[in-house]
Amino acid sequence: MSEQEKIIEIEVLRYRPEQDEKPVPQVFKVPFTDDMSVLQGIQYIKDWLDGTLSYRWSCRMAICGSCGMMVDGVPKLACKTFLRDYYPNRVRIEALAHFPIERDLVIVADDFIEKLQRIKPWIIPKEARTLEQGEYIQTPAELDVYEQFSSCINCMLCYAACPQYGLNDKFLGPGIIALLHRYNADSRDGAEAERMQEIHGHEGVFNCTAVGYCSEVCPKGVDPANAVNVNKTKVAQDYFLRFIRPKAKGDCE
Amino acid sequence: MTARRPYKRPMPGWWRKNPYFVEYVVHEATACFVAAYALVFLAGLLCLVQGEEAWAAWLAVLRSPWSIVAHLVMLVAMGYHSYTWFKIMPKTLPPVVVRGQRLSPGAITGGGLFAALAASLLVLGLAWGVLQ
Amino acid sequence: MQTYQADVVIVGAGGAGLRAAIAVAEFDPRLRVALVSKVYPMRSHTVAAEGGSAAVVQAHDSLEHHFHDTVAGGDWLCEQDVVDYFVAHCAEEMVQMEHWGCPWSRKDDGHINVRAFGGMKIERTWFAADKTGFHMLHTLFQTSMKYPSIKRFDEYFCADLLVDEGRCGGVVAIQIAGGELVQIQAPSVVLATGGAGRVFRQNTNGGIVTGDGMALAYRHGVPLRDMEFMQYHPTCMPGTGLLFTEGCRGEGGILTNRDGYRYLQDYGLGPADPWPRKKAMELGPRDRLSQAFWHEERKGRTIDGPHGSVVNLDLRHLGEKKLRERLPQICELAEEFLGIDPAETPIPVRPAVHYTMGGILVDGNCAAPLRGLFAAGECSSVGIHGANRLGSNSLAELCVFGKVAGESAARFAQDSAPLRRNHLAEQASDIESRVRAVVDNEGSERIATLRTEMAQTMEQGCGIYRLGDEMQATCDKLAELRERFRRVKLDDRSRVWNSEWLLAIELGYQLEVAQAIAHSALARRESRGAHQRLDGFEARDDVNFLAHSLAVYAGREAPRIEYGPVKITHLPPGVRAYGAEGERVEQERSAAGV
Repeated sequence: MSEQEKIIEIEVLRYRPEQDEKPVPQVFKVPFTDDMSVLQGIQYIKDWLDGTLSYRWSCRMAICGSCGMMVDGVPKLACKTFLRDYYPNRVRIEALAHFPIERDLVIVADDFIEKLQRIKPWIIPKEARTLEQGEYIQTPAELDVYEQFSSCINCMLCYAACPQYGLNDKFLGPGIIALLHRYNADSRDGAEAERMQEIHGHEGVFNCTAVGYCSEVCPKGVDPANAVNVNKTKVAQDYFLRFIRPKAKGDCE
Repeated sequence: MTARRPYKRPMPGWWRKNPYFVEYVVHEATACFVAAYALVFLAGLLCLVQGEEAWAAWLAVLRSPWSIVAHLVMLVAMGYHSYTWFKIMPKTLPPVVVRGQRLSPGAITGGGLFAALAASLLVLGLAWGVLQ
Repeated sequence: MQTYQADVVIVGAGGAGLRAAIAVAEFDPRLRVALVSKVYPMRSHTVAAEGGSAAVVQAHDSLEHHFHDTVAGGDWLCEQDVVDYFVAHCAEEMVQMEHWGCPWSRKDDGHINVRAFGGMKIERTWFAADKTGFHMLHTLFQTSMKYPSIKRFDEYFCADLLVDEGRCGGVVAIQIAGGELVQIQAPSVVLATGGAGRVFRQNTNGGIVTGDGMALAYRHGVPLRDMEFMQYHPTCMPGTGLLFTEGCRGEGGILTNRDGYRYLQDYGLGPADPWPRKKAMELGPRDRLSQAFWHEERKGRTIDGPHGSVVNLDLRHLGEKKLRERLPQICELAEEFLGIDPAETPIPVRPAVHYTMGGILVDGNCAAPLRGLFAAGECSSVGIHGANRLGSNSLAELCVFGKVAGESAARFAQDSAPLRRNHLAEQASDIESRVRAVVDNEGSERIATLRTEMAQTMEQGCGIYRLGDEMQATCDKLAELRERFRRVKLDDRSRVWNSEWLLAIELGYQLEVAQAIAHSALARRESRGAHQRLDGFEARDDVNFLAHSLAVYAGREAPRIEYGPVKITHLPPGVRAYGAEGERVEQERSAAGV
């Protein structure tokens, strides 16, 4: 229509476990308009050029967290990354870094889900309340303390941005620690001590060396690096305080 | 039998592949220069304890062209280290609220850099005063 | 084939599916729940809901008001006893969400805040900024993790229901990662698979919203009810159809045409001032606003854009601060997808398909006519939306009826006779052969071609306004597409994460659901709610069509359209009016003591 159709080269790192020994690049020529996202480019490939290309996607509006991938080496949501920003160069697309590739652009996400389960991502109330008693009172200021961390869409870009996770996938990682912090910082919750067990020790916060790239790539402004580093202070405090604080009841191993 | 065969990508030279990681690695590497200067300083203190002769010898070493070049390199490295250190600082602090408003990352970094600069000038001023 | 035994299997892990799973777990922790979802639960399309969820909380509001808004908004095609139950249980469900951690937006005193929404007389929409669905979904998903009796089957694609002796006995699903089929046998099955908006071209829906559960129930003889009622949301991004929440208007946003004129006042929604005002102008219901756009377009008073004509959603007067606080995601969408700062420039919008009012026929207990089968959420038709859903009723529905479905399914599982496991297993292996055959099908038709033609013909025939001959053409086209679908050919014949295989199965689901929509539309010879005709049936016809349409599956033939009664308890059909006219009607109504 009003826009001239242009052709961009999209290089996709393919991996089909039933035929490829290891990942191999494949280049597609894709016609595009200026308002087309990388995701739409990939959809064009699947629909019209090669139906064997596999990838995850759904909402197209940067909220479902499905379409994370490496675009020119940077972790991005494909739905809100635009082809025009790469044209006339070739754009390189690859599955999210640091995760095993299941196939093509699809990574194995089991690790993230298992870790999510581990941090008890639900409210363990400080004081129980029945439905008849109505809602907990939470001021806008109390909400503000954790709201940003509750905005995590689980897209895992931060994991692809974290070399420490890539080198040691035992590390709980930025997104999960942000979610842990989200519950600990919620005025309704009373289970901080329980959850802190998870981030002490080797798989916890001290795996982080403050690279900070996780927060740079976060598409939702969650700032997971902040959650991790604030908790380093907390863990250190806990460690030293236990020498001077009398042991509280029930605070046993 | 499942046909699944997940592929784990190796990470050789990972830090060279992204400017952000290069900056991070350089930042970490400059910490060595910070440590190196601490050693130089420690050596000076040891010499001071050993007496005037040792102290004079240490000063002489400091005045050598090699030493001046090394100090310049350490200064640049430390400058870079401080700059990148303050750049990451907002990510390490709990929210700093001033008059009901969260302090922006820029303000925290700027404040940190300003404080570092002010402290350096103060030390420089004191040293200058002592020399006079 | 691997076989799992469960007491309740739930298909779909969006808001309704998760709420149902939790309800079963709380009802009886000994009941084994299998929660099957073709995506990780937090990817489910509940995530994209923005504006909020309805529940009466303000002192000057009442359940009766919520009831009236809902029934009149649905143009009297609602099951009034079910609406009664619904409005009475919204608040407790929203409080429950709060107890589970949903970060509802608050007033300064720490109590829940509510905002105004279209077609609602009083502010009763609970919201979490403009990411309400996202927060509700993540809250439910994360909360569901604390129940050990819920076993999740993430990224398992439901391929069919197991039905033996007129009774549902489980499902067969494809494990997407490995391409293996599994059967999950259970005396109770809950479908919570969401809507079918992707059968249309421009829509707000995620790629996964393909009517799977509807098609599965339908194939097993369960009627799809009121399928002709597809909601067009009036404010969507041209081209992609991405949604700009009704909350924009709830917060005071206005709609203007090419002359900067608030055109809604010309379509029975005015006067324009004072503003903001409930149930008037931009806070009218969605069907009326989308229809007004259609007329403006015909009059040439819209603005031409690269993806069709648009009007302006103007939020500038709300100011930067309020926009960032109340509508952060709207700002983000406008900035990143359109390069527009809504504080500076109006957002170009046009209507797009948003919600499937109809669905799997269920009663007030969420039970379908097939024993052992239950349904909740958008895939179901429990009867609260009628001919047009009010914004913020669907998120509340997920909770209220997700819970009902879970408890009904749990009770049924406890009381039911044992399943004939061998018979089910035989059936499962037949299903496996049939489902696998899709991969090796020899033919010449490409999935994307069929899908594109389907979406085009649906838009053509079943758009905002409808004509008999156009609907007939759509029905004919769909029959042709179903025939051609038998010759579909896949590029991908592998097992691991073969998404083309799933796309083909989904297209099969979609074509059948699309037929149910088109034929139900063609048969309804009146105009009501979201179904508006221009070929001599412009008026509502309560004599002949105050009835639910029921599309009944007829194999390779077109569906049979039947009708069922509408339950009217205490609000007899009346004039559906908004703006000044609506106020007049309401005064008359209260004067008459109805």
